[in-house]
Amino acid sequence: MVRGLIAFAAGIALSAPLAAAPLTVRVMDASGKPVRDAVVSLYPSSGARAPRGGGHYVVSQQNIQFHPFLSIVPVGADVSFPNLDNTKHHVYSFSAAKRFELKLFAKDQSRTVHFDKPGVVALGCNIHDQMSAFIVADSAWTGRTNGQGIATFGDAPNATARVSVWHPYLRAPSGTVEQRIAAGQRATSFSIRLRPPPPAMSMDY
Amino acid sequence: MRSFRSLSARLTVQFALLFAAAMLMVSATLSTFIAGTASREVEGQLQSSGAVYDRLWQQRAHELQNAAQLLARDFGFRAAVATGDHATIQSALTNAAARLRVGSAFIVTADGQVTAIDPSVSAKEMQQLWEPLDEGRLTGVSVLAGRPRQLVAAPIMAPTLIGWVVFAGDLDEREMRGLERLSAIPLHAAVLAQSGGRWSEAAGSMSPLSDQSDALAERHMRSGAAFEMKVAGEKSIALAKSLPTFSQGERAILLLAYPRSEALADARKLQLGLALMTLLGLVLMSYATWRAAGRITQPLARLDDAAGRLAAGEQVQVRVRGRDELARLANSFNEMVGKIVEREKRITQLAFNDVLTGLPNRTMFHQHVEQLFQACDGSGGLFALHCLDLDQFKAINDTLGHPAGDALLVETARRLRQAAPGHFVGRLGGDEFVVLQSVGEDRDAVDRLARDILGAIAQPFSIDGNELVPSTSLGIAIAPDDGADGETILRNADLALYRAKEAGRGTYAFFEESLNERAQERRKLESDLRLALERGEFELYYQPLFDLDQNRICSFEALIRWNHPERGLVSPLDFVPIAEDTGLIVPIGAWVIREACAQAASWPEDVRIAVNVSPVQFRRGALNETIVQSLAASGLKPHRFEVEITESIFLEGSDTTLKLLHGLRSLGVRIALDDFGTGYSSLSYLQSFPFDKLKIDRSFIHNLLTRDGASAIVRAITELAHALNIETTAEGVEETAQLMELRAHGCSSVQGFLFSEPMTVTDVHRLFNDGGAIQKVA
Repeated sequence: MVRGLIAFAAGIALSAPLAAAPLTVRVMDASGKPVRDAVVSLYPSSGARAPRGGGHYVVSQQNIQFHPFLSIVPVGADVSFPNLDNTKHHVYSFSAAKRFELKLFAKDQSRTVHFDKPGVVALGCNIHDQMSAFIVADSAWTGRTNGQGIATFGDAPNATARVSVWHPYLRAPSGTVEQRIAAGQRATSFSIRLRPPPPAMSMDY
Repeated sequence: MRSFRSLSARLTVQFALLFAAAMLMVSATLSTFIAGTASREVEGQLQSSGAVYDRLWQQRAHELQNAAQLLARDFGFRAAVATGDHATIQSALTNAAARLRVGSAFIVTADGQVTAIDPSVSAKEMQQLWEPLDEGRLTGVSVLAGRPRQLVAAPIMAPTLIGWVVFAGDLDEREMRGLERLSAIPLHAAVLAQSGGRWSEAAGSMSPLSDQSDALAERHMRSGAAFEMKVAGEKSIALAKSLPTFSQGERAILLLAYPRSEALADARKLQLGLALMTLLGLVLMSYATWRAAGRITQPLARLDDAAGRLAAGEQVQVRVRGRDELARLANSFNEMVGKIVEREKRITQLAFNDVLTGLPNRTMFHQHVEQLFQACDGSGGLFALHCLDLDQFKAINDTLGHPAGDALLVETARRLRQAAPGHFVGRLGGDEFVVLQSVGEDRDAVDRLARDILGAIAQPFSIDGNELVPSTSLGIAIAPDDGADGETILRNADLALYRAKEAGRGTYAFFEESLNERAQERRKLESDLRLALERGEFELYYQPLFDLDQNRICSFEALIRWNHPERGLVSPLDFVPIAEDTGLIVPIGAWVIREACAQAASWPEDVRIAVNVSPVQFRRGALNETIVQSLAASGLKPHRFEVEITESIFLEGSDTTLKLLHGLRSLGVRIALDDFGTGYSSLSYLQSFPFDKLKIDRSFIHNLLTRDGASAIVRAITELAHALNIETTAEGVEETAQLMELRAHGCSSVQGFLFSEPMTVTDVHRLFNDGGAIQKVA
């Protein structure tokens, strides 16, 4: 069923007119500073293209941290979780897109999880609370903002579209804000409110 | 200021008021200070209670937060929340709520969903918490289901924030009472929370609170200072503290109240004590002031009282205590009293005593007599009034001078006092003295006292080298028989005195009623006598003196007769003493001299005229002038004029008398000594003055033939006279045998009824004309 959906989406994308210019989305926080690592997704009303499919990704655990912090993977990607630390890790996700628990109790032990649904998956370690990482699985135009808070979509169709921005600390229900852009609009910006990132030791024992 | 009748009352009130004002000021200040201190103390206690509550609040919040975090971190719980496992969530929340004793616990997910265990709290209320939770608020007060609650939340990280677990601790009565119990003072605690414009409260023992108290608490919340408010109708000192709220729009206040009466109970006790002390102090001060004022005013009051009594005539002395001004005043007062009394005594003495002799005077005598009358009125007692004067006192005064007279009076007074000890002795004036004698059963006592007085007065007395023997006469009247009042008794004693004098000086006489009649008669006679000379009622009779050697009438003695228009002929014995006493003897005597001279001038040359001269005339009659004028007027030769005097003139001072006699003698007038042999018959007179004649008193002649001594005395007198070359005349010759005897004794001349009674001037002329009629008789 997932494959069918992807195929359907790909078909839409193929039929969309080609974009003339890249679409630029700028994300800033309340004080106007650029926000990096914000995930910007584009949902054009027409001209949908087939999402990327599959692929292999790695989110390692090293020095009691996930690496990388944010991964954007296509639906259907396989993500392996190698434990490079000497400690045990208990990687879990309660996210609706993908729920899993990996008990990686030995160094260099690795498991792979198949991400077959679009959505944000928040990773945590039940042993180390400070460990946090996000994997966003999406099949459409999805990008992340760079250090200037800008995400660029070179091949975005020139049509009305829904633009959503997600950030792990974004203060909004489900951590997402959305905009609609008109056809031919090639730039937009988001001003978002961010929560402070959770402290390294959130429990003050 | 109102006036006081008593100085001590005024002092007491003034000082007490002053002291009361000072004490009240001090007390008020202290009281205010106590109240202030108590208030500050209460405020401090409230503040510390507030601080304790803060601490408790934080502890509770901490406890709940720990529990919330513990729960939020639980993997299973997180999994349940993340997966929306409501059953698991609810059981976990119920378990935790029970363990933590919180009323309500619930989950708010990051996308605003709620899972709760307490159905009383609406989902909407809980969902409204998402915003503050999302803002990071984890503790604070919020109103849920109309009740303020202490909310504590913990984020649920899985690993991103998926929601919050929230514990809502009840801020109910139990909680508040627990807080109240923790406080050191019995305060009332309440939490007030405002949500959506409505206040809700959780109170311990303080309810019910009013709307005003909410507003009031909110007003004072910011200042942090204590304020007053009414809690359950009771005035209280309150403190409002802001409590952190969970939501932005809410407000929460911790209200701590301390009933004023309880808070200030100790202070009230202190104030009461202070008030009592003040009152006690006031009473003590008033008492002390009253006592002190009394110490000052008591002597003044005593002086005041003493002055009043002094004014009433009492002799008073005030007690002197101490040596202060009051004591000196009292001393001066006492001295003043002494002087006043002394002066009064002096005035009384002057008023009632004779200055010269110191004896009571007439005024005092009358008072004393009146007292005696009153005293004897009921008792029937008697008293005798002895009235006396000095014989010949006037003569002594005139001849020896007033100082001598005064000395005699003083001496007389002394003698009287001595002679009549215990009796009232007074001087009524001049030489008039009185003695008052109370008489008991013994009537002879009156006589004894009279004799004692006479004897005492009759002692010789020397004045300026002149020795004289005073003598006195006494008249006695006995009251109340002889007079019922002072005037009468004195007059009657006076009459008795006259009688005594008549009876011969140096005696005493009792008053008799006849004296009174005589006195009245005498007064009548006296007034008639004053007119007699003008009316020509006097007439001279002449009694011849027969010369035994020459057998002829050698002289006439002029004898005055008073032809009274009603009484007829009045004897000289009756009126001469009156004339002497009244001084009428002077004009009468002068008339006698003129008349006698005038008559004698027509008589033969060898016949003399003899005129009796009273000592009164001698003393003040200008006798020499009268005689000179009469001789000149009549042409009578002085040697034919003979003055007959009695020895009594010598009583009034022999020197003066002798001068007068010599003065008469120098006129050429003859001087005869009448009534010789009676009275003093001092031979010294004969030696001191060359009398021309001695007239032998008729008493000797009368007894000449009957008594043995009489003849010898007559002979002795005639022989003495011969020796001194003085003529002698025998008076009162009535019998021939007497004549014979007298002739034998060598008497010069005789006078008496044997030859002739006194005769009128007509008869004298007829006798001269007839011639020798009497010679026949001789």
